Amino acid sequence: MSKYEILKARVGTVGEEYDAEAAAATGVNIDALIAGGFIKLSAPKVKKYVKTEVETEQEK
Amino acid sequence: MTTVFLSSPVVTVNSVDLTDQCTSATFSQSVDALEKTVFGNVARLYTGGLETNELVLEMFLDYDSGDVWATLNGLVGVATTVKVKADAGAASATNPELTLTGTLLASLPQNFALGELQTVSVTFQGGAYTAVTA
Repeated sequence: MSKYEILKARVGTVGEEYDAEAAAATGVNIDALIAGGFIKLSAPKVKKYVKTEVETEQEK
Repeated sequence: MTTVFLSSPVVTVNSVDLTDQCTSATFSQSVDALEKTVFGNVARLYTGGLETNELVLEMFLDYDSGDVWATLNGLVGVATTVKVKADAGAASATNPELTLTGTLLASLPQNFALGELQTVSVTFQGGAYTAVTA
């Protein structure tokens, strides 16, 4: 499911997630909100992995 | 006699709060009167048919990003939801939230009059009417 971020205070708190699924269920036109610059697709969060080194028996 | 002084009505169009640009909202719900008069009746009788619902909004027109024009421009010809409440408080029996779901903005007329604040009058036609009272 796509996540959307609020860009304008007229639709909620700027920066918070916009529940497009619930809004669409009540008849809100999501495409028009995007076109008007009120919300945008949130960038997917990239998981950070910490590189860990494991010593092998030979290295020991 | 009870009267209502409107000081802080709330108007949302496609979930966008345009309250601070709106000067008038006229919500009307009507039903077709279908005649069912038959022989023997002494007066015409009618039954209710299809609903015709409508919301007319008068607003100041603002071309800023995320304002009136940005809200309405993308809605011409597509279905949306509009809501009107008499007061900013929670919806209740004494402050019903009137909603049109699946309503259509067929046109976006824009007037340009020199020396005046630009206004726009839009009509949302049709859609399912509900009044949220709780």
